[in-house]
Amino acid sequence: MSSERPLLDATATTPPTPAAASRLPPSQPEPPVRADHLGFSVEVPDPFRRSRRDNRDQPPDLSASRRELQEGGDCESRAVVVGEPSAEFSGNAIRTAKYSALTFLPRNLFEQFRRLSYVYFLAITVLNQLPQVAVFGRGASVLPLAFVLFVTAVKDAYEDFRRHRSDRRENNRLAAVLAPQTASEFPPKKWKHIRVGDVVRVVSSETLPADMVLLATSDSTGVAHVQTVNLDGETNLKTRYAKQETQLRFSHNGGVGGILHCERPNRNIYGFQAYLEIDGKRVSLGPSNIVLRGCELKNTSWAIGVVVYAGKETKVMLNNSGPPSKRSRLETQLNRETVILSIMLIGMCTTASVLAGIWLLNHRGELEFTQFFREKDYTTGKNYNYYGVGMQIFITFLMAVIVYQVIIPISLYISMEMVRLGQAYFMGADKDLYDKSSRSKFQCRALNINEDLGQIKYVFSDKTGTLTENKMEFQCASIHGVDYSSGKDTRGYSVVVDDLLWTPKVAVRTDPQLFKLLRNGGTNVEGKLVLDFFLALAVCNTIVPLVVDTRDPRQKLIDYQGESPDEQALAYAAASYGIVLVERTSGYVVIDVLGDRQRFDILGLHEFDSDRKRMSVIVGCPDSTVKLYAKGADSSMFGITNKELDSVRATEAHLHKYSSLGLRTLVVGMRELSQPEYEEWQSAYENASTAVLGRGNLLRSVAVNIECNIHILGATGIEDKLQDGVPEAIESLRQAGMKVWILTGDKQETAISIGYSCKLLTNDMTQIVINNNSKESCKKSLEEAIATIKELRVTSTLDTLNPVLSSESAGVVLALIVDGNSLVYILETELQEELFKVATECSVVLCCRVAPLQKAGIVALIKNRTDDMTLAIGDGANDVSMIQMADVGIGISGQEGGQAVMASDFSMGQFRFLVPLLLVHGHWNYQRMGYMILYNFYKNATFVLVLFWYVLYTAFTLTTAISEWSSLLYTVLYTSLPTIVVGILDKDLSKSTLLAYPKLYGSGQRNEKYNLNLFVLNMVEALWQSLVVIYIPYFAYRQSTIDMSSLGDLWALASVIVVNMQLAMDIIRWNWIIHAFVWGTIAATAICLFVIDSIWFLPGYGAIYHLMGTGLFWLLLLIIVAAAMVPHFVIKAFTEHFRPSDIQIAREMEKFEALNQVNRSEIPMRTLS
Amino acid sequence: MTPGCVITIFLLIGITFVPVGLVCLQASNSVAEIVHRYDIDCVPDAYRRNKQAYIKDSLISKKCIQKVKVQYHMKAPIYVYYELDNFYQNHRRYVKSRSDKQLRHGMKYTDSSCGPLERNNGLPIVPCGLIAWSLFNDTFGFTRGSIGIMVDRKNISWRSDREHKFGKDVYPFNFQNGSLIGGGKLDPDIPLSNQEDLIVWMRAAALPQFRKLYGVIEDDLQADETIDIHITNNYNTYSFGGKKSLVLTTSTWLGGKNDFLGYAYLVTGSASIFLSILFALIHVKIPRPHGDAAYLSWSRKSSN
Repeated sequence: MSSERPLLDATATTPPTPAAASRLPPSQPEPPVRADHLGFSVEVPDPFRRSRRDNRDQPPDLSASRRELQEGGDCESRAVVVGEPSAEFSGNAIRTAKYSALTFLPRNLFEQFRRLSYVYFLAITVLNQLPQVAVFGRGASVLPLAFVLFVTAVKDAYEDFRRHRSDRRENNRLAAVLAPQTASEFPPKKWKHIRVGDVVRVVSSETLPADMVLLATSDSTGVAHVQTVNLDGETNLKTRYAKQETQLRFSHNGGVGGILHCERPNRNIYGFQAYLEIDGKRVSLGPSNIVLRGCELKNTSWAIGVVVYAGKETKVMLNNSGPPSKRSRLETQLNRETVILSIMLIGMCTTASVLAGIWLLNHRGELEFTQFFREKDYTTGKNYNYYGVGMQIFITFLMAVIVYQVIIPISLYISMEMVRLGQAYFMGADKDLYDKSSRSKFQCRALNINEDLGQIKYVFSDKTGTLTENKMEFQCASIHGVDYSSGKDTRGYSVVVDDLLWTPKVAVRTDPQLFKLLRNGGTNVEGKLVLDFFLALAVCNTIVPLVVDTRDPRQKLIDYQGESPDEQALAYAAASYGIVLVERTSGYVVIDVLGDRQRFDILGLHEFDSDRKRMSVIVGCPDSTVKLYAKGADSSMFGITNKELDSVRATEAHLHKYSSLGLRTLVVGMRELSQPEYEEWQSAYENASTAVLGRGNLLRSVAVNIECNIHILGATGIEDKLQDGVPEAIESLRQAGMKVWILTGDKQETAISIGYSCKLLTNDMTQIVINNNSKESCKKSLEEAIATIKELRVTSTLDTLNPVLSSESAGVVLALIVDGNSLVYILETELQEELFKVATECSVVLCCRVAPLQKAGIVALIKNRTDDMTLAIGDGANDVSMIQMADVGIGISGQEGGQAVMASDFSMGQFRFLVPLLLVHGHWNYQRMGYMILYNFYKNATFVLVLFWYVLYTAFTLTTAISEWSSLLYTVLYTSLPTIVVGILDKDLSKSTLLAYPKLYGSGQRNEKYNLNLFVLNMVEALWQSLVVIYIPYFAYRQSTIDMSSLGDLWALASVIVVNMQLAMDIIRWNWIIHAFVWGTIAATAICLFVIDSIWFLPGYGAIYHLMGTGLFWLLLLIIVAAAMVPHFVIKAFTEHFRPSDIQIAREMEKFEALNQVNRSEIPMRTLS
Repeated sequence: MTPGCVITIFLLIGITFVPVGLVCLQASNSVAEIVHRYDIDCVPDAYRRNKQAYIKDSLISKKCIQKVKVQYHMKAPIYVYYELDNFYQNHRRYVKSRSDKQLRHGMKYTDSSCGPLERNNGLPIVPCGLIAWSLFNDTFGFTRGSIGIMVDRKNISWRSDREHKFGKDVYPFNFQNGSLIGGGKLDPDIPLSNQEDLIVWMRAAALPQFRKLYGVIEDDLQADETIDIHITNNYNTYSFGGKKSLVLTTSTWLGGKNDFLGYAYLVTGSASIFLSILFALIHVKIPRPHGDAAYLSWSRKSSN
């Protein structure tokens, strides 16, 4: 009884997991069972935080909960008395809203002022309230900040109001809760009043109000089906069980009782450990006994459960953290320019204040009698608003800060958000990103990284469900060393049950020879093996057959619901050959074996885990033998086979063939158990499965003990179909200069074959394979790889004499294939650096058998070492960590469900949409956003410089000729709207051009639209234009009667026209909206000036009317605009002529094509005439 | 932007701007202008070293006659301006020190914005503030021999100011009663809306060297004729080194004499023509095929 050894010791001592095993991150599960089975925590820790901790002490392995229970002991777990609501734990009311009516104002303001720019703005406004420093009127100075705060507050309030409404709706939903002291009365109760310990009755299609342990269901065996679409987006049904003990009690007397001990609330959706003390017995409970809040009960008429976690402690709420906020590359880069502008600001303020000080010193003795100064107030005899030269300098400095503040464009942040909103709208509305088959739209989940889509250098892609459809199709079988892979027949197979025809939903192409063999079956050895093979396929799984009505009342469909598409494919395959799984309960399955219904008792099930890489069931057959059926990865199955046979060798050869065809392979085996073997197993199994602590390990060791001496029945090959357009998409991405990495849990051969089928790998590539089992060998192969690369580089550079070019263009294309095992030794060690070196030299990288957290590690490998932007795309829960780690995370909203989508920044239906998303929208977004930021810097700098030059003629006292209202409206109204509209609507190239020339994407990767040079150029232009705006009128009006307001109006209008003209010259694709906004803004500015000058108590009353009546004004406006724009025009013309950018050439090509098309259509007409 | 388009645009700018420049220059040249600085000449020799003492001493007569020779024929209307230099009407202290409400509605609306000249002896000052206090108060009269030349002093201010900015029933009160007199006094019986000198003065000039309209002479002045200007030199610009001048000028559609605009147009226009020629040359000598895929960066790279 060696298997019993670890059973109870485990609670007292350390878990029996070998230290080495816990150090390894689990590798990705084998194809048949997908990651979800693993039950690894979906809680994705902040990747940065994680990397700082010592990762080796934190096996990313599975449930943290188990550890919690182990470490904390029973005192840390919670005890729930079934049927007795307890106020000790959190109630079921939820609150996702941030604010209440009372706390809204302070909290919202606090949240808003966490933005540094708002604090700057506020400081300036406060400064302006000091009477000595006041530049603007009080009302006027508060206005812009108030406007910004108000707009944001309204937006927040609306969002929060919606949250409140949904909270209220959620909290006031009704559930049937067992009334205390009664046996079977379930009066309705509001969700918010439900407490831990309440017994709740849920009927079919109802949503579960809290996390509950199932006590009983309508099914006599205690099965309940739930749909977890709200939780993780998966639409297939999951099976949950009520324990027989509680099920029986309920069906007998409906009584409740017992104490439930469970772990503390945690975020692990796929893990749960508890036991129920009932009648002095301990009944163990696991993840299959709990149903979670937000799930829906399906295909089960009712279920009763006891609430164990309520409200904010439910797993769904704990997981409800939303995607982490990312900041876009441009926004980070913008900080550098902001610093430069701050230095400029300080410089200008210092200049102004020092000059003011010098002026005061020079005129020190005259100030009293100077009419325009008069420092003394003679009624008091004291100085009036004069505090000595030193203080005056300081005050002037502060005032200068207020006057020149707009050089740091605060409105830019709001403009950027509005532009992104608009861009998101157009991306969502793009029909090319709409997936008709799944009806999933493109979604922008993170609104602040649109422009990052235009700068991606690395694409990390999951394989299953992302590149492939995750629709598995059974293709070939190798049974006892014979390959049956010529499937032709698709007639399907039906069974007759109660005079009704039950047909499996999916028919698989069958091999006629195999079919024939099976029909004759049972008689010869071969036939028996074949039958066992298909029985294994039908039994050894977790598939639940659902019988669905069809239009034809005599016909029903069998729909195999299960968590793994591979298992579904296998069950459908077995059904097509006549071995139809008809019914499954927790205790037995009913199988229609070629028309003969047989019941197989399921005595035990060893679930898949990543260490064993196989699963097995112990089945009591109708002929009262006990058999073990197992299926799993070839490596794990061949290790436990009984003897080396020719048939096994043949199977291995077939497996090799299948995987080179790109098929997912599985090996199926069987073992007959003798009575003593069975009994020994049974006692060990029972002990293990009721253990509370360390149960997983116990069960695993039980499984390992029994899974030996397996007789190999055969192998299966399942095709994993590629999604539409994947090879083309990958080709486009690579042409666009992106490196595509595939990170998959599949084994090496499968990964390579998928690599070939999606054209990532080609025959002319040199493959570097790193597949080792120890650190030393990894190091060695990495060093060899580096040496190989160097060698190739040297020869290729000798060939082409062009050392600058990368390996790709030099003709040698390298592909790196890394195995998950090797990554264990490479990631988080000093070998990382070498892997990085190798990987960046290779144009293709394939990582196979990688665990979810390794995926994130690989992304981090690139992200932390380069400035290049990374994008991760995936669809499953195992991609979540990678998606959150990458600069841009994209979730495929397809079959595998919502976890990835919820963690992603963008979600869409198909991998191939990546091409239009990046090449078209990403390109546009980047171009426009980069331009918009620079333009905002430029336009504000122009205005501030105009203000600055005037100060030189006001005895450095910071008077502004431009009225204070115009100063404040300049950023808010006069110049803001056109940039927003251009940022949303302008397109430098048409969609078709961008798709036809993927290399145009390189402009974003090379930071061509936003860099320091462009910033400096913009600042120089701002300098020139401000000089033109200020000095042409200055010289024209010198020694004239011009008054401040008139000159100020001219300057304001001229600045607005000049900066808008600059924008107009850079707009590429005009449409009526852009026209309306650009010219409308200039008109609006003029109207505002008229309005301001029509207010009698402002100094500028009537000025603009007088001004516009003179010819001089119009001539000045014309010459200012012309002189200001000529340099910009010249620079543009010169660069376009001498250093044309790719984008510009492509644009010209577009124009010529359009012309050619016109010509072509004209030519035939001419020939006709 | 095709080369044709660039060349055309520059050519168009050049072709329009050069003639406009010439017209502006011609207009400026047709203006006859006399500028006569008098602030030093009007100080008696005895006080040349201490002008402050001269200007502050109310016992000394400030009358001063200057002879000016007319160079060119000046056709009526001839505008009479006084010009101040180094006087910062745009100084922040100065610009802020006024109350527009009081100017329109009377002394009830006196407010602190007028400091340091809000009140005197506890009574509000109307009009309050530094600007009004520093009202320019030199006077000018013109004679040709012994015959006076009429100067029309009406309608020298903006009509909008007279009608809406300065009250018709607001009369000067407690004005220039302080210990330090800043400038001119106002007749307390004339409402502010009729005090045109004040209205002109209170429209603060944009630049430290500025002119303000004093009146209009409706007589032609002949070339080589000498006229006498009778100045009362009251206003103290000596304390801060300001300059005072009298300006007589005719006017055109473009305003007064100013060559700058014409030159600006000429320079911009000719630069444009030069640029258009330059681009034409570049286009001919170093042509660049437009929309040629061979010039794309990656095709250039591979062809190397």
